[in-house]
Parts: sequence; C-alpha cells; structure tokens
Amino acid sequence: MTFIEHCHGQTLDEILYLCREFSEDPAYPTVKKWREAGGKVVGHFQVYFPEEIVHAAGMLPVKVTGAQLEGMGAESHFGSYLCSVIKTSLELSMSKNLELDMFVSHPICDAARNLAAIWGRNFSYKSQILYLPQNPNSNHSIEYLCNEYDRLKQDIESVAGRKVSEDDLRRSIAVYNESRGWMKELYDIKRESPWQIDAEDAYALVAMAGFLPREEHNTLMRIVLPLIHDRSRYAQDKMRVVFEGGFCEQPPIDLIQTIGRSCYLVDDDLLIGLRYILDDVPVTGDPLLQLATAYIKNSSYSPVQHDLRKPKEKMLLQRFRNARADAVILAAAKMCEPGLEEQVAYSKALDEHNIPYFISEFEENQNTFDHISIQLETFVENLIFQ
Amino acid sequence: MKYTAGLDMGSTYIKAVILSEEQSICGKAMAPTGSKLVETSELVLAEAIREAGLVRENIKYIITTGYGRHMVPFRNLQVTDLTASARGSQMLFPTTRTILDIGGQTMKATRVDDKGKVVTFRLNDKCAAGTGAFLEKTARYMGYSTADIGSLLRLSKQKVPISGVCAVFAESEVISHLSEGVPPEDIMYGAISSLTDRSVQLLTRIKAEPTYILIGGILRWDTMAKSITGQLTGTVHVPDGDLPQYVTATGAALLGHLRLHQIEKTAAVTA
Repeated sequence: MTFIEHCHGQTLDEILYLCREFSEDPAYPTVKKWREAGGKVVGHFQVYFPEEIVHAAGMLPVKVTGAQLEGMGAESHFGSYLCSVIKTSLELSMSKNLELDMFVSHPICDAARNLAAIWGRNFSYKSQILYLPQNPNSNHSIEYLCNEYDRLKQDIESVAGRKVSEDDLRRSIAVYNESRGWMKELYDIKRESPWQIDAEDAYALVAMAGFLPREEHNTLMRIVLPLIHDRSRYAQDKMRVVFEGGFCEQPPIDLIQTIGRSCYLVDDDLLIGLRYILDDVPVTGDPLLQLATAYIKNSSYSPVQHDLRKPKEKMLLQRFRNARADAVILAAAKMCEPGLEEQVAYSKALDEHNIPYFISEFEENQNTFDHISIQLETFVENLIFQ
Repeated sequence: MKYTAGLDMGSTYIKAVILSEEQSICGKAMAPTGSKLVETSELVLAEAIREAGLVRENIKYIITTGYGRHMVPFRNLQVTDLTASARGSQMLFPTTRTILDIGGQTMKATRVDDKGKVVTFRLNDKCAAGTGAFLEKTARYMGYSTADIGSLLRLSKQKVPISGVCAVFAESEVISHLSEGVPPEDIMYGAISSLTDRSVQLLTRIKAEPTYILIGGILRWDTMAKSITGQLTGTVHVPDGDLPQYVTATGAALLGHLRLHQIEKTAAVTA
C-alpha cells in the first residue's frame, strides 16, 4: 500500500497524523515497499543533493537525516565528540532499517567528510562524495558543478543499470518543479496564516518529501494544501518567530511542537536541502547545466555553503523581514560546528538590528522539553508584555 | 467597557475570572479539572461570564495559564502561571515582592520586582510531598475527603510530626500514628506543618523578601495560612475568602487588558 492509499478516506487531521508518524518512523516502511517491488534506493546525506538525477534513473532518492534510535552500534565508528546525526544515519543502515543501493555524502563539515569512507567500509554498494563547489563565486563554478553532476550521473547509471537521457532528466526536473511550487505554497501558508497549520504538521509534510517518491509527495500536497487553506481555525495572538539551525540534524518533532505552542513558526531552515532551489529549473537546454546553474545562482543558504553573495546573517535578516517575524530562535544541534559557529554572526547581526532572539541547542534524541518550553515562554512573555 | 477573561487551567481545578478595564473582578467560577479540559474550561468560562452579567461577545481577550494552558483552542494567548500570578498578586497588593503559590500538584515561590516582573522563582521537586495532593492523600488515608480538611483542622489541639519528605512514606507514618491512637485532626495538623516547612525552605532558596502574598488552593484553609504566616517576618497578605485560588486567573485577565491596549495602540499607530 502506498502512502497515498493509506490516506484515502481520511480527514485532514488523520492525514497529518499519518505524516508525523511516517516521518518519525526509523523503519522507513514506504522505502521498504519500494525495494520489495524491485526498486533501488540512493541515500544522500545532508544538506543539498540534486535528487532529480536519481529520480531520472528510476531510483528512489532518500534524504538520510538520522533518527531517534537506541542501541547505537554506529557509536563505535565515530568519536564521542561528534554530532548525533552522523551516527544515527549510519545506524539506520547498519540496523537494516534503511537499506540502500548507493550512498552519497557531501563534505559539509569534518564529520561528514569522513562519512562516505566509513559507510563504504561497512557496505558493499557504492559510497561516494559529491563535491559541491567550495567557491560558488568562481566564474567556473557552474561548469565545475555540471561536470561533477555528470560524474555522479555515471555512477548512478551504473547502479541503476540503465542510461539516463536528457529527456529523463527534464521529466524529473518538471516533477521537482511541481514539488518546489507546493513547498512554496506551504511556506506561504506558514507566513500568511500560520494558525492554519501546526508547526510540527508543516514540518512533517516537508519531511515526507525526503523518502516518498516525489510524484506521490506531489499528490499528497495536492490533496492536503487545499484542505489546510479551507480550515476554519482560530487565529491566536502568538508571537511570530523564525527558526534558524535546522539545516542538517533535525530537532525532534516534539521540540517543534513545543515551539509551536508558544509561537507561530512563520519561517525556518528545517530540512532546507529539500527546498534549496528557490524557483523552477528550466526544462529546456542541458538539464545538468540547468541544475548546476540553479544551485549556484538561485538557491537558499545554509551554514555549509560559503557564498560571498549570500552572507548568512544578511540572509537571516531577509528571512526575518519577509516573514514579518517578531523574533528569531537561533538553535544548533549539539556538537555541530557549522551551526554553532554561525550563531556568533547571527546574534551579532540581530543585536545590531535590535531583533530579539532566543538561543538554544537541541539533539535529535532529546526527549524532555520542559526546560526549553519554560525558557521560551518566558522569552515570549518578556517581549509581549514589556 | 472592555472585559477580558483569565483561565487558570490548574491540575486540580480550572478557574476563570472576568476582569473589567477598571481592574474590577466582575465574575469568577471554578470546577474540578477532570479529564475533559476543553469542555470544562468552556463551562467554567460561561459560568464566570454569567456571574458577571455579560455575554461571550463582551469578552475581548482570553488568556490561559496553568498546566493545561496550551489545551484551550479559543484562547488568544497563553502565559505561564509564574507571570500570571505575579501580575495578579501585584494588582491585589501592589507592594508584593514574594509570592508563595501552593496548588494541587506544585508549590512555587516567586520573587518579583516593583513592576510585577518575575525576578526569580523555584518550583517544588517532582514530588507530591510539597503540594495539595499531599494533604488530600493524608486525609484520604484517614477516611476523610478534601472537603473535610478545614473542619478537621479546627479540632486539632497539637500537631504530630510527619516527615513530609515523601507522600508515599508519609502514608506509613499516618498509619503508625493512627494505630497509636493519635486523633486524625492532629495528624492533619502535622501534615500542614510539614507543608509549611517545605514552603519556607523554598522561600529561602529564592531569597524571599516582604511583602509576601500566599495564594493557591491550599490557602483556602486558614490553618495553612496561619501556619506559614507564623514562619515569616514582615507583611503577609492572604486574599479573602476563595480569592487565593483566583489570583493567577486574575493576573491572566489583567495581562489580557495589557495586551488589548498594546494591540489597539499599534493599530492606531499603523492607521
């Protein structure tokens, strides 16, 4: 049964509940179904990955974002000083919860740089690194990235056992363009009428794109978004906040829910890799060149992409203003060097602009939220009743 | 005239207060929390509105507080009970600097500044020993209900020691005292004294200073109020009648007026 078949005859609340359940399920039941039907799966680690290339080869791209797992065999492969998502991502495969046919990671940080090599030693399938340009401001970055995508495509073709034509790629780009449209619409709802959808439900809807076939996710959004628009929900007088710090390791859904109880989460960088390309990618011309151009010229930002045109603090201020937010939640995963480093620049910029912010840390295995809840509520009350 | 409502979604009782913009309590109501929080909150609010002689449309802003504050879908905003009780206390007694709030499941000591802002606070440990639940359990061991506690306390001539460190261990102490023929009223007074000791410890930890206010459901028993007052130096206020239970809801309603005022001011500036 596909996820969409699960949703048949269900109310909006029931569908959103299913989304939360599936997005937190480390057993990846929909991916298992795909494999049982003879499909192949390519796992890719955070942050951005051009899923269109895998999709064009008829395989399922799965965003490997770790999970809330116990009994960590993967602990023995990494130092204790490293972040959780590195370990739980490997654990997902070691425990056979998520079985892959190929794995790709990106050198987004020191820990992730070694992930593909460690992965490769533990599994017989291809495990490689996609080198996104270190210097996207170079005149040659698009050409370089196009070549890198072509190299990746050849590896993907060898795993898929078939060639990927330009038309295959264009069809996949079209599917992902539709997906980009739905994601934008969802975030428009979050910004314009945040009371219509709970923060954790919006998050779960996006997370589903990380492991569902993208056509199926498009169908899900096509069903759900009109229902969300049509909801008659009471608009509360909550403070509007932007959450920054969810670009790689993801906070537990319960933490997102905790934030949503006190504030309207009107924009964020949660799972930003799934929403990284900002507009439609043209379905004409050389598709790999178009994908590379979109990444270099028309993409979002994160602490692991160093682009002089997009100073992160300036981008955060822009996100804050576009969302007409009242405050920012600056969070970072424990032991996440890029995330923690960026907090310095973010907080300096927010101070300079007199924008209130709340700093916190999280971990995907975190299971108590009382402290952060009371701290956040106190922060909100101090602002609202100052 | 604008009215706001404060709903204190406590663990044991839900309380509602209707407040006019002249800071007058026009209506109040209370009911046991039970398991149907939303339905009960609607009923309690409706009862408070009825007592105020108003209709729902008169209520321009609703703030919830207490442990179930996030559960009420018709709220405009929710605030922590620390903030709400601080504002409510200063509305009733403007010189308040320290608040001791003993409820069904928690004991909170809060120090506030001269504007009613929380400076520091401490909660009891995650244990029923410092709360109303401890008194209820003690009464229940002896075959009495919560409603009997007040009359029982009035009969007491002397207290007997109850450790009060743990409500579970206290049960065996109560049984032991009963088997030795100690009157139930003296055991109850012992429980009150143990609760007093715990509350004074909590106040010491926040460097409490006068003026004090004692609030929460437990303070409806005057023996409890007298017991704590006897341990404190300086002015101690205990709101009259059942008002100790409504202070937090009152603070929430007061914050509702503050927020309404801010919204109107912002709208005027924007216009």
